[in-house]
Amino acid sequence: MNSMTKKRNRFIILSLMIPIILLTGFVVFPAFDLFRMSFTNWDGYSPSSNFVGIDNYISMFKNKDLWLSLRNNGIYFVAHLVFIPIELMFAVVLTSKLRGAKFYKTMVFLPYVINGVAIAYAFSYFFSPINGAFDSILEVLKLDFLSRNWLSDEKIVNFVLAFVSLWRFSGYHVVLFIAALQSVPKDILEAAKVDGADIWQVFRYVQVPSISLVVDFILFDNIRGALQVFDIPFVMTAGGPGYASSTFTLYTIKTAFTFSNFGLASTMAVAIMFIIIIVFYVQNHLLHIGKPRPTRIIRRRGVRS
Amino acid sequence: MITSKKITKLNVKGIGLSIVKQFIALGMVIIVMLPIILTLFAALKTKGDMVKTSPLLLPEFARITLDNFEKVLSDKYLYVGLINTTIIVVVSIICNVFLGSITAYILERFEFRFRKLVFSLFFLGMLIPTFVTEIARFKIINSLGLYNTIGAPIVIYVASDLMQLYIYRQFISKISVSLDESALLEGCGYFKVYFRIIFPLLAPATATVVVIKAITIINDMYIPYLYMPKNELRTLTTYLMTFANAQEGSWQNLAAGIIIIMIPAVLIYIFFQRYILDGISAGAVKE
Repeated sequence: MNSMTKKRNRFIILSLMIPIILLTGFVVFPAFDLFRMSFTNWDGYSPSSNFVGIDNYISMFKNKDLWLSLRNNGIYFVAHLVFIPIELMFAVVLTSKLRGAKFYKTMVFLPYVINGVAIAYAFSYFFSPINGAFDSILEVLKLDFLSRNWLSDEKIVNFVLAFVSLWRFSGYHVVLFIAALQSVPKDILEAAKVDGADIWQVFRYVQVPSISLVVDFILFDNIRGALQVFDIPFVMTAGGPGYASSTFTLYTIKTAFTFSNFGLASTMAVAIMFIIIIVFYVQNHLLHIGKPRPTRIIRRRGVRS
Repeated sequence: MITSKKITKLNVKGIGLSIVKQFIALGMVIIVMLPIILTLFAALKTKGDMVKTSPLLLPEFARITLDNFEKVLSDKYLYVGLINTTIIVVVSIICNVFLGSITAYILERFEFRFRKLVFSLFFLGMLIPTFVTEIARFKIINSLGLYNTIGAPIVIYVASDLMQLYIYRQFISKISVSLDESALLEGCGYFKVYFRIIFPLLAPATATVVVIKAITIINDMYIPYLYMPKNELRTLTTYLMTFANAQEGSWQNLAAGIIIIMIPAVLIYIFFQRYILDGISAGAVKE
């Protein structure tokens, strides 16, 4: 028996060694290192750096461009939030009896798997001020008085970019909703119909409760995603004009790799992590949903097996 | 009489509803396809036609040109990008599949000291945001001498993207424990049980992991952009970025590049979408 335990432990240690070393070295340690660096003025290449206390935190809170960037993240967040009911509606339509549903499901997820950089350039072309397709569409619709510099007008650039973000990522949420809707057992749906529930009642009282877990996940994903918007503005506008379309992550990356202020950039990275962890905590402990699944071992003692 | 009237009324309502649903679905298809199709139109135009014809239309058939595609396809660095991307995808995925499945197996099936600690470590890893971590990771990659080598993206993809754990754990929890227990009683070693019994049973989950990872890695921009600025280390995506910067205003050339770079991931998606749609909701949807 003892040699069995020995073998078992050896198996566990040998198998987990590499994944744990990689995870610690390249993910967990850097995260803690960001915290340490946030108290220094390291420039990214000097062998040494000075401890500067909370100077970086003070200059972060005073940085107007960063606040502007954070407001831009808010635009993405609100756009995706407003879109959640529409995504749910699409999921309901696509799971109902619908000719060509399979084709539509393929199409709805296509933007998510398309190369993000390629599609960002495609949209740059779509919204380009000279011979741009969007302006031509407006012309056909006799709305050409609306046309403007979609990607260089400070007032609208963020909405254009948020639209691209919606185009790219909404399909993901639709697919999650579809999976959730399909996880509702058929006999419950049938029973509700037999009891005389109409489409709306089935949706409201049978389907909505069972998708609350997914709604929970999507809300968290939305906050995390909105805070980390990066590649769309990075490719399409580089955050410009000025900082008009910058985002928190874009500004952080620029502070480090363009302005060589790794200390300040680390402070901003710590802020992002902090926000994400707080949101996660609030959602998990205060809303009591999205709890981690019980492990197999616990479940085997449960009633169902 | 009354019943038949009722039925026709219901039918009319049903047909009306399905027409509305078709309209909604078709509208979605148009929105999804529009930017792609218009880019394809541009890729098929000559420089002159970019100005003369509407961006919403193709030129006359006789004036359609494949020159733009030829220009991209004759660029040596496109193939450099293709080779690099293939190497990165293959090596990262092999590592991800083996390390991910064995980690998930142990976390799901074994009780051991520090299990909770290991578990929280991986959980923490999933919470840590992606892009900003590079600020600290950059130093580590540098000090290991991996900067400007193909090892940098590989080691990062293997270490940091942990979605495979979700997929494997969900799948392993459905495999009967009696299977490995009886094999162990018969004197099979742990590694043998894992490789001979568990891993083959995980094939559907592995397919999902392979397909999703391949698409994610092919499409990733920032890690190769940051860690491999060298020309010889272009990936498909960073190739497109350099190509775009060189095309200042020649949308027809860039359009051809965009279409070509889109093709690999789209093909993988179309052929293997079953695996993607299964796996993408792992972790978000209860079994």
